Amino acid sequence: MMRSLRTRLLFGIISGMLLLLQIFSLTVYMVIHRALLNQYDALLASLARVLAASVELDENNIELEAAVQQMPEFLRTERPTYYELWRSDGIVALRSPLLGADDLVHLDGVINTLVFAMSRDKNSRPLRAVGLKFIPRPANSDDKEQPQLMEKQTFTLVVAGDASSLQRQLGLLRWLLLGASSVTTALSVFIAAVVVRQGLNPLNSIAAEIAAIKEDDLTVRVGTTSVPSEIAPIKNRLNDLLSRLENAFMRERRFTCDVAHELRTPLAGIRSTIEVALRRARNTAEYQTVLSDCLAIVESMQTMVNNLLMIARLDACQVAFRRVQIHLTELVNSCWQPFSEKAVQRRIAFENRVPNDVTVNSDRENFSMVLSNLLDNAVEYTNDAGQIWVTARHTDDSIELTVANTGCRLTSDQVAQVFDCFWRSDASRTGTGIHCGLGLPLVQRLVNALGGSAAAEVQSGSVFAVRLILPASTP
Amino acid sequence: MRVLLIEDYRPLQQSLTKGLREAGLAVDTTRDGQEGLWYAMRNDYDVIILDLMLPGMDGLSLLKKLRAEGRQNHVLILTAKDTLEDRIKGLNLGADDYLVKPFSFEELLARVRALLRRSYREKNPEIKIQDLRIDLMTQRVWRGRDEIRLTPREYALLEYLAMRAGQMVSRTDIWKHVYEFESAASSNVVDVYIGYLRKKFEQLGRPPLIHTVRGRGYMLGPKA
Repeated sequence: MMRSLRTRLLFGIISGMLLLLQIFSLTVYMVIHRALLNQYDALLASLARVLAASVELDENNIELEAAVQQMPEFLRTERPTYYELWRSDGIVALRSPLLGADDLVHLDGVINTLVFAMSRDKNSRPLRAVGLKFIPRPANSDDKEQPQLMEKQTFTLVVAGDASSLQRQLGLLRWLLLGASSVTTALSVFIAAVVVRQGLNPLNSIAAEIAAIKEDDLTVRVGTTSVPSEIAPIKNRLNDLLSRLENAFMRERRFTCDVAHELRTPLAGIRSTIEVALRRARNTAEYQTVLSDCLAIVESMQTMVNNLLMIARLDACQVAFRRVQIHLTELVNSCWQPFSEKAVQRRIAFENRVPNDVTVNSDRENFSMVLSNLLDNAVEYTNDAGQIWVTARHTDDSIELTVANTGCRLTSDQVAQVFDCFWRSDASRTGTGIHCGLGLPLVQRLVNALGGSAAAEVQSGSVFAVRLILPASTP
Repeated sequence: MRVLLIEDYRPLQQSLTKGLREAGLAVDTTRDGQEGLWYAMRNDYDVIILDLMLPGMDGLSLLKKLRAEGRQNHVLILTAKDTLEDRIKGLNLGADDYLVKPFSFEELLARVRALLRRSYREKNPEIKIQDLRIDLMTQRVWRGRDEIRLTPREYALLEYLAMRAGQMVSRTDIWKHVYEFESAASSNVVDVYIGYLRKKFEQLGRPPLIHTVRGRGYMLGPKA
């Protein structure tokens, strides 16, 4: 597996080019080879036919016409042409004078059909030979008995020509094709390299743009200049990813800032309480007051840190639940217990309207946390002498639980924000350092993790209600 | 020197009030922005210490209203917001100083004192009137080479008189700037403390420093 796109493209283009060149060269060579050979064969064949036609059979005597014997092809020593004639019994009847005592290759075949072959002469020079089996014409053509008599007298004639010039031409052609192929290959490597580099340039520029992105500035986007259509999807996906990252980073940064701000106020409280106390010697009662003040601040900070940690764990899906069947009326009563005294002090009336038969399948500890946070929130923001009530009812396959309180001063726009971390309406700012705006966000995340959903609304008569939809049985 | 503290976080409000009072300042305090504005409009505070996130009315709106009403009190903003943008916004609206939570109480006190000196155009942290020397930073007082030990109340009174040295200061002014809003008004208290100061200054037969302007008030040092 080649890692580099450039190598892969170059390898593909060049090997394809080489294959095509080979096929092309081979085809050209074959065609020209065939054509040259055919041309030479035609020449030899016509000589063979002339020779065959000039063979005369007289009794047992074989003769060639003198004119044929004197043809320049058979006489020249430069690029000579030979012939040899065999009887059917294999005895040489005639041979060209240039052959001396040598024999040509004996090409035997079907009557009147030409047979071609390559051979070599005694000097190892290449020869092209054509064989023709034929019945020579009788010396006296008027004799009617002769054909019957001579019927079996077949002869085999072989005419062979010097093929070295043919071989030279073919050799030249081979070198020519090889040379042309080499030059084309070299040029194609060069061109392919340039084209591939040009083609991959947009990738390099995108890579450079990506490399230039710094983690502290995710607002930049890649491929602002025009990019090829093949890279556009990658560019778009990458920009989408950058947008999501930017949003996530911004959320994270804002959250960190919020956490820092929320911790600063109680820290300032502890610091100034201690510093003021240390400015002079004080009596035991004063020190005790300072220490208990600091302890109260530390406790509220601890609650905030615990809530933050719980939210972080829920977001990371690291909270395990152990579901059991919970009797809702009892759980609401036990969760209300810690707030009842404060409610009495502020003359707040509490009513648990949950029907006795309603049960939910949930994690007891975490669902208690949900209820406690909702009731805590309700007690904190209900008007003096106001009301808090909890209702529940079965729907198709879920339980709808509502915690409501009077004295709501939120607008419907503000209600949409109650599940945002650290959000507090201006009216509730008195809770600084006591209520850090994590209760309802924690409720929503817990309920979601438990397979339900949470929604908040303002009802007529300044009633604030949080409605939970919970699975009745194991989801 | 009278200070208004507007801070809604109870532990901070309580400890700062205590610390500032122990440092000899008269402190009025509230946890609500609306109420804070009401206090500021009805009294002449030397310094207002203002938290930004407040119920009722946020600190910046309060500051804007205060300036719109032509009030020139020195304002020190106290907040958990620490970005440059927040600081610039606060200072542009007419705040004189900015302190980010959590802060050191000593730093807050030093800044409040610097603003108080600016209130009386006194940049030198040491005031000299004849042979009387007051170190505003350490709140120590000398007459000649002898250090005079004063209670916080006595010191607060002396500091106010020293800031307006050479001027006639009425009993009402002293009451307004040295004593707290909530304490019962009684010009007799002023006379009693003036008596304490005179007694300490005129030990060993030294010449008097605090002069009575009959029927109107008091003056520290020679006439301006």
